[in-house]
Amino acid sequence: MPYLGSEDVVKELKKALCNPHIQADRLRYRNVIQRVIRYMTQGLDMSGVFMEMVKASATVDIVQKKLVYLYMCTYAPLKPDLALLAINTLCKDCSDPNPMVRGLALRSMCSLRMPGVQEYIQQPILNGLRDKASYVRRVAVLGCAKMHNLHGDSEVDGALVNELYSLLRDQDPIVVVNCLRSLEEILKQEGGVVINKPIAHHLLNRMSKLDQWGQAEVLNFLLRYQPRSEEELFDILNLLDSFLKSSSPGVVMGATKLFLILAKMFPHVQTDVLVRVKGPLLAACSSESRELCFVALCHVRQILHSLPGHFSSHYKKFFCSYSEPHYIKLQKVEVLCELVNDENVQQVLEELRGYCTDVSADFAQAAIFAIGAEKREQRGDKKSLGDCCQVSPTKILHCRCAATKRVPHIWLPCGIARTYTDQCVQILTELLGLRQEHITTVVVQTFRDLVWLCPQCTEAVCQALPGCEENIQDSEGKQALIWLLGVHGERIPNAPYVLEDFVENVKSETFPAVKMELLTALLRLFLSRPAECQDMLGRLLYYCIEEEKDMAVRDRGLFYYRLLLVGIDEVKRILCSPKSDPTLGLLEDPAERPVNSWASDFNTLVPVYGKAHWATISKCQGAERCDPELPKTSSFAASGPLIPEENKERVQELPDSGALMLVPNRQLTADYFEKTWLSLKVAHQQVLPWRGEFHPDTLQMALQVVNIQTIAMSRAGSRPWKAYLSAQDDTGCLFLTELLLEPGNSEMQISVKQNEARTETLNSFISVLETVIGTIEEIKS
Amino acid sequence: MSASAVFILDVKGKPLISRNYKGDVAMSKIEHFMPLLVQREEEGALAPLLSHGQVHFLWIKHSNLYLVATTSKNANASLVYSFLYKTIEVFCEYFKELEEESIRDNFVIVYELLDELMDFGFPQTTDSKILQEYITQQSNKLETGKSRVPPTVTNAVSWRSEGIKYKKDEVFIDVIESVNLLVNANGSVLLSEIVGTIKLKVFLSGMPELRLGLNDRVLFELTGRSKNKSVELEDVKFHQCVRLSRFDNDRTISFIPPDGDFELMSYRLSTQVKPLIWIESVIEKFSHSRVEIMVKAKGQFKKQSVANGVEISVPVPSDADSPRFKTSVGSAKYVPERNVVIWSIKSFPGGKEYLMRAHFGLPSVEKEEVEGRPPIGVKFEIPYFTVSGIQVRYMKIIEKSGYQALPWVRYITQSGDYQLRTS
Repeated sequence: MPYLGSEDVVKELKKALCNPHIQADRLRYRNVIQRVIRYMTQGLDMSGVFMEMVKASATVDIVQKKLVYLYMCTYAPLKPDLALLAINTLCKDCSDPNPMVRGLALRSMCSLRMPGVQEYIQQPILNGLRDKASYVRRVAVLGCAKMHNLHGDSEVDGALVNELYSLLRDQDPIVVVNCLRSLEEILKQEGGVVINKPIAHHLLNRMSKLDQWGQAEVLNFLLRYQPRSEEELFDILNLLDSFLKSSSPGVVMGATKLFLILAKMFPHVQTDVLVRVKGPLLAACSSESRELCFVALCHVRQILHSLPGHFSSHYKKFFCSYSEPHYIKLQKVEVLCELVNDENVQQVLEELRGYCTDVSADFAQAAIFAIGAEKREQRGDKKSLGDCCQVSPTKILHCRCAATKRVPHIWLPCGIARTYTDQCVQILTELLGLRQEHITTVVVQTFRDLVWLCPQCTEAVCQALPGCEENIQDSEGKQALIWLLGVHGERIPNAPYVLEDFVENVKSETFPAVKMELLTALLRLFLSRPAECQDMLGRLLYYCIEEEKDMAVRDRGLFYYRLLLVGIDEVKRILCSPKSDPTLGLLEDPAERPVNSWASDFNTLVPVYGKAHWATISKCQGAERCDPELPKTSSFAASGPLIPEENKERVQELPDSGALMLVPNRQLTADYFEKTWLSLKVAHQQVLPWRGEFHPDTLQMALQVVNIQTIAMSRAGSRPWKAYLSAQDDTGCLFLTELLLEPGNSEMQISVKQNEARTETLNSFISVLETVIGTIEEIKS
Repeated sequence: MSASAVFILDVKGKPLISRNYKGDVAMSKIEHFMPLLVQREEEGALAPLLSHGQVHFLWIKHSNLYLVATTSKNANASLVYSFLYKTIEVFCEYFKELEEESIRDNFVIVYELLDELMDFGFPQTTDSKILQEYITQQSNKLETGKSRVPPTVTNAVSWRSEGIKYKKDEVFIDVIESVNLLVNANGSVLLSEIVGTIKLKVFLSGMPELRLGLNDRVLFELTGRSKNKSVELEDVKFHQCVRLSRFDNDRTISFIPPDGDFELMSYRLSTQVKPLIWIESVIEKFSHSRVEIMVKAKGQFKKQSVANGVEISVPVPSDADSPRFKTSVGSAKYVPERNVVIWSIKSFPGGKEYLMRAHFGLPSVEKEEVEGRPPIGVKFEIPYFTVSGIQVRYMKIIEKSGYQALPWVRYITQSGDYQLRTS
């Protein structure tokens, strides 16, 4: 940074640029220009010397030209009128005998990004397309796309598009690839460049001449091509086979994706492809570049979702090395969990145990969770469920649910712990012996989830628990321990005494969630060991009702107090719910996902972020984009809660379960809707009860909240009343819906059509729809 | 792939160089990058992919620089990273070392290169050999508008220029195998693999056509010579110049080489081999007083071969002091900034066994934080030897002009990621 303010610097540079002595000395002149660029890079506003820089562009020194053009591209949008002065020089350079100068001038001119420049660049671009130097043609081809972008959404120049299509046959490989890129950009509105059979075959034949970027690009464009026959399909696969072995990971991934998509209908081919990329992917996983290694690991995980055990024989490749960065280690641990089988379980667990005592607390905790085979991201969900309960005291019965059913979404990859419980519990118990706070808390949380899913390990867990309370300080760990003591207290001799310590210190307890958990646990333990607990339960209830400041805790205390007044049998009925649910793991365990469900996301950012994370990112992006147009939901909320508590939970849960994610603001045109509607068969038909009148706007807004768009709707009160709705999920699957109210009928008829037959998402979609309609029905009545 | 802009930032996140290719992401977005990176690092959730609103940052770190590509599209991550690495490679060929200093010193060339490497967010010419033909450090020569375009820019064979001339036509072939090893604290081998590369240094005139013959098992089986000693290569990858279709058909490796240095192919062998240098170690830590280290190294390769430049680095606690060493051969040195003792042995013949003892004092006051258990690392190089037994059987060189050219072959085995965990 200069010592002087930017104004002084500009003044000084301006003087230097105008100085005829400096102008005469080529080296000094270039030095001054370099300084301008340097300040520009540092973020100083250098637009003040625009005029002088334009003058400096008239030079034979090509380096100076480059610098000046770089400067002009940066500031042209700020000084459009001055930039027009430079056009003259640029145009002259476009017909320079040196192709390097021609290319440079054309590239810079197209990058000026200011209004009104189009009319000047059109002719040079057209000349450039026919230039004899391929260097210039490359620039001109991309220039077409730049020009189109400048125009905004003006209509497409048909002649230009044709010219570009014909340039696909150019000698120069980069010109060919640039043509594809450019056409894609220009034809964005119409769905991009069209790959028909001659083009596809031409590209396939040119593949080996392209560099790695070109190959990856072409592979991506070929995704659009639908071979006419099986024979052609297999010819293409054969032709591209060698690219699965390319030395560039980008090309390998691109080829893999193309194979998976082309072989959509041939599951055995897909499996075969995945077997063949095993080697290259494993190589990428131990690549020197950490980032490429990370990306490859993310894709390995993706493949494992469909083919568990696919990499099992190579499990040792996923052992972490000391110096690897955190993000790679975490990915490797996740992969290891999914690879476990009877043969390698011993070695993998042994390895994971080593990680559990890693110096990095985060990594150690991740490894412990991995042994319990719980996914970390899911912990957030549990918390939010708990929070929901706190919100509404009237739904206190629901708390019982939340308090007992601890693990609504545990997702067990292969369930190391479920299949190999004994070994896992043993390792976890040994870890408790280390008496490290960060380890103990995670082990106890893992225990909590384990006994819920694998009741056979309860005995071992109960034996391991005594003594852990000394090493737990955080809220999550305390809650887990208290829950375990409450539910399985009859098997842990000193359970009442541990809880008593918590009761003694309840005043200094900072987390309300811990207090709530303590209330429930103590009441439960009171049922099985009344003599030891009665006194302290009284004290705790007194404290919670009389002294506690947190409303939710107080409410919970009052609720239990009143419940006790009703009688002990009622308490038992409500609190003594099942202590485990081994079926839950099986139920929630997602069946092996078909390859086709993620093939379209392969080799994009989606597997790198993780599908759930990607969904939130794209959701917030969607919200950012369409914020201003969204209906004011606040005014709506004032007229009464749109979706009652429990339904809201359900609606929110849906995206998290990964089953269905509706994309916000996916507005279809009425024409497109009609065409699609007519071409599809009804996938699902259903009748819901419906009485009386309602306001269509309410329904429309309610649907908007869950990302279902209304295409058309009859006026209120008309009979028959009809509405057409559309929604799209993150995989691109469209749901088209017709709602129909027949005159005199007290039913609403729902017909749903889907452009891809997928029952799971269809069912989730219908349940969302039902929820919304049910809610409207409730509000109305 | 499509990157909106590419940035080169210093360690503090200040842009040294920025190049806006597409103009669809505001350049000011880069200001969010560093805070985001720091925040994620604190959360322990750092990843090479960060997002802020609609912008994705794909970044890599090289010495004291961050290279960041921004995009708002659902881009192809591995391609973007490959591009960033390619950029580094190109810069390194220009300035030897890529760091903040060299970027500042050469920033005009950096801009020139960025201009050629990418246009509108798409990679263009990334071959440094070709770039060097028209972007040079001595570009001060006044060009009077008549300068020629280097032929490669418009060539059909994009990786080689026409009209190359050498007085003496030669090819040097280096067969390099590096051994990756991971051994558990209890002495069991967790992972052992060999990554081989064949590198060529080409000094040939004209447009020569080369054919390389290896003792490839698949080829031998094809031609019925399965009795000869052969090697099964896995996961073979070639430079762009190799005709892949021919390799697939009859396993012939034929190509027109680029000029100068390049990596022709790489392969991988996962057959278990005996670790070439085996280490046994006892690290005894007596709290508050001392650490005693005993390391035994054994060369488990042929007696005729010799490992050169062996370096065994043994971790020691960071608060250790007053080192004392005793070695049966070579010398030991304490490197406090890395918390290791490095035992170097200039030449280590196969079958030999050597011993090193080290003694360190420990302060009586123990420090709070727990330390990790870094592994013992080994570096070595064994010339005239390959673990796999791969051999270059022939290298045929055919050129229109019919000159005679000499191929030279050199074999070498070296350590890759060679780690033995300590307890």
